[in-house]
Amino acid sequence: MSHQKVWTRVAVILVVLAASVAAYVASGISRVKTDVTGETSPGMKDYLKNGIRLGLDLKGGIHLVLQVQTADALKIETDEAMAHLSEQNKEQSLRLGAMNRIGPAGFTAVVNPDTDQDKLQDAVKRFLPGWEFSRQGTLWTFSLSAPARKNLSEDAVAQAVETIRNRIDQFGVSEPVIAREGENRIVVQLPGVDDPRRVKDIIKSTAFLELKLVIAGPSSDRTALLASSGGQMPPDAEIIEGNSTDQDPSSPKVFYLLQRVASVTGRDIKNARPSQDQNNRPSVSFSLKADGASKFDKVTGANIGKQLAIVLDNRVQSAPRIDGRISDSGIITGSFTPERANDLALILRSGALPAGLVYLEERTVGPSLGLDSIKKGVTAALLGALLVFVTMIVYYRRSGFNAVLALILNAVILLGVLAQFGATLTLPGIAGFILTIGMAVDSNVLIFERIREELREGKTPKTAIENGFSKAFLTIVDTHVTTVVSALFLFQFGTGPVKGFAVTLIVGLAASMFTAVYVSKTIFMLEYGSRERLETLSI
Amino acid sequence: MELFRNTHIDFLRVKWICIGASWALIAAGFISIAAHHGLRFGIDFSGGTQMVLKFAERPDPAKIESIVKPLNLGLEGVQRYDTPEKNEVLIKVKQQEREGRDVTQEVFSALSAALGGPAAGARIDANVKGHDTFATSLAAADPDNVAGKLGATAAQHYAAEGDAIVAYRSQVGLFRSPADFDAIPNVSPAVKAWLKQNTVIGPFTVLSADNVGPQVGRDLRTKALWAVLLSTLAMLVYIWVRFDAKFGVGAIIAIIHDTLITIGLLSIFNREITLVVVAALLTLVGYSMNDTVVVYDRIRENMKNNRRDPLPKIINDSINQTLSRTVMSSGLTFLVVVALFFLGGEVLSTFALTLVIGIIVGTYSSIYVAAPIVVIWNEMQARRRPVAVAAAAKAAAPAPRGAAPRPAGNRKSGKR
Repeated sequence: MSHQKVWTRVAVILVVLAASVAAYVASGISRVKTDVTGETSPGMKDYLKNGIRLGLDLKGGIHLVLQVQTADALKIETDEAMAHLSEQNKEQSLRLGAMNRIGPAGFTAVVNPDTDQDKLQDAVKRFLPGWEFSRQGTLWTFSLSAPARKNLSEDAVAQAVETIRNRIDQFGVSEPVIAREGENRIVVQLPGVDDPRRVKDIIKSTAFLELKLVIAGPSSDRTALLASSGGQMPPDAEIIEGNSTDQDPSSPKVFYLLQRVASVTGRDIKNARPSQDQNNRPSVSFSLKADGASKFDKVTGANIGKQLAIVLDNRVQSAPRIDGRISDSGIITGSFTPERANDLALILRSGALPAGLVYLEERTVGPSLGLDSIKKGVTAALLGALLVFVTMIVYYRRSGFNAVLALILNAVILLGVLAQFGATLTLPGIAGFILTIGMAVDSNVLIFERIREELREGKTPKTAIENGFSKAFLTIVDTHVTTVVSALFLFQFGTGPVKGFAVTLIVGLAASMFTAVYVSKTIFMLEYGSRERLETLSI
Repeated sequence: MELFRNTHIDFLRVKWICIGASWALIAAGFISIAAHHGLRFGIDFSGGTQMVLKFAERPDPAKIESIVKPLNLGLEGVQRYDTPEKNEVLIKVKQQEREGRDVTQEVFSALSAALGGPAAGARIDANVKGHDTFATSLAAADPDNVAGKLGATAAQHYAAEGDAIVAYRSQVGLFRSPADFDAIPNVSPAVKAWLKQNTVIGPFTVLSADNVGPQVGRDLRTKALWAVLLSTLAMLVYIWVRFDAKFGVGAIIAIIHDTLITIGLLSIFNREITLVVVAALLTLVGYSMNDTVVVYDRIRENMKNNRRDPLPKIINDSINQTLSRTVMSSGLTFLVVVALFFLGGEVLSTFALTLVIGIIVGTYSSIYVAAPIVVIWNEMQARRRPVAVAAAAKAAAPAPRGAAPRPAGNRKSGKR
């Protein structure tokens, strides 16, 4: 083997080594920078500690799978379509009879014989895009077309992802994962978050805010509310439950009679922030966009002295008296904790969810368990590696030491590649790491045993090395390929921990092929290649 | 140092004893599974809820059971977690029929209320809340009087203190009394005083809480099954292509053998099958396959070089020649896995145990099962086709049905 060739190989190895270290450190630097909480200036130690993103099982955090109730969005669309149609019914005097909802995305309407059917079809085409209808005598059945349904569901999921992202961003989580999965699921991973209940509430809360004029109330008796309107429910009014004035949950419920149409809704909100009311209790103040402000101005101006109910998610939070004309801002008071006031402001700022959410899966790892796992995992891995190193050196002496060098390089490359591709290291990932080391050791053992066999057969050390490497090569390829092939399938079809395991294994085995065959041999060449005659081999 | 030098052990002589022993182990596993009324699946596959809580004092599972049972969630059991001095408890609840019920929260609230946690109100539980809640509440109260001053904003200031509080709690496990607040590093005395006044030391802290609903449980089951089937199949196809049919059969039987024995032993040790255990099972399949491939590789090589030798001799020689490597490699990997088992903690315990069993069984099967199967299979083929018995050498030919042995050039091309 020529001298030049050896040095080319050394150069290749050094480049790979340098690239791995650089990738790892670069990743550490960028990750430390995005983590704003640190007050002292970070050093090399912090970069080395943060080179790889740790999974939730190691860092602690929350993994959630949510399902978007897309039927909600369809229902809203159906309600709107029915409202449009009845509006047109009035405007164009279509003479439609009763309309009834059927299912989440359909409704029926009775069409009178004297209805101008051309006009009706025209109105449907213009004002109800995406709707189809079928006729059965006088009864027309309207249903949302399949593509329109699909679009609506898609939009609802996409908007839910966006809204959740807004909320999480405002909550300040570093490196969150918010991804759509399948048709209507959203996966949310929040490393380092240790308030599962709070975050779950923030994500799921629809936080639909409405400001409505109070007709009567509060009262603990529903019928008493109707006394003012002669025992009859007035048109365009509704009864909504409210928070009782004192904080005792056992006190009787209170109800309000409110105008059905909201004066201002959460959509009109420009900004919201936690604040304190005149009694220094936590509250949320908000400001309104231009449209909302003019509406609010009109309503408050015309109703001075009356009460305005602040309704959140269909529950009256408070019903302050309107003391004067208010245009662009307001305050929501209630019995909030500082935490709740903070979260409510956050949710109001981030917009409403288009549909309800249901939690399908939830996994929380507390910060102390993560800390414990990483400590134990790393200790076990280090001790295991140490045992392997010592045994290798004792059993194969000088050659064993070469193998240890190759193994360390293997670990460095693996860390570098994982950091470069932003892979996440999980507990099963550490296990995959350990197995990689096991297989890399195996490759070296295969080679060394072959060399020993060749020596036993009386070959010269140089030939023995040459034959040992070439004969072991095919076996090493076979063992690696079988495992990589199975790991690829695990990666493709596995979930969570299985996937993390597969990633480390695939990358580790690729690195092991390189180190066991290429690097090991180069070290042997460096050591023995230049000597004219080689009498003994330390193996 | 050399442990095995030119060994000549007749491994095939005991092949029937080994096959008997294997059957016995497999049968023992099946009996255990039957006795346990099937395998114990973790919540990844069975669905349901599982919580690990750490208490300040030694918890009494019976008492916890008596608190959780009245919630009518379908309590499956309360048991000690990890070592007794850690005061940790695992609570398992059946899968709910309806999606989205917040079982963990219901259990926590009930336990907290019954064991002297804070009542519903403004005071926060110092053992359950996270750093963000500490930060928000502190920022609202502002004990350090930083609002409106130059430098860091109040939010940033209290974010750092919230982090410090939780970091200290993680380190010590949980707060046991308000006096513990004094020991928190990097937190101002004013904040410590605030903590003492405005928080309650709850009875437990949450180490982990998992809740798998019916849909996700179903998905995880099917996905895991497909992952296992396809990855095993892919491995077999590779073996089939690289070697011959009879080796493929030996490899399949060895894999099934290893998996059955390991699953049986997991049942005997009363361990749960979780997603992580499935990953471990797949690893051991890969590992056993690795060992088998090494032996097969040598058999193939010897078949080419010593065509006149009968197959049993070739196989025995091959196992002997690779014995040193097999013991070394398995031994080294075994060391690592044993370290993982003893030091990896409760979370990794079953994973590591699966690998410990797997490496022993896998190594044994490569020597005593996979190779003998090739001989037995070959003998059976020979009996079925009496003409072929004529020469033992013929049986030793690498491929049945007259397929040409892999040309020597092919092997050479593998050289670099």
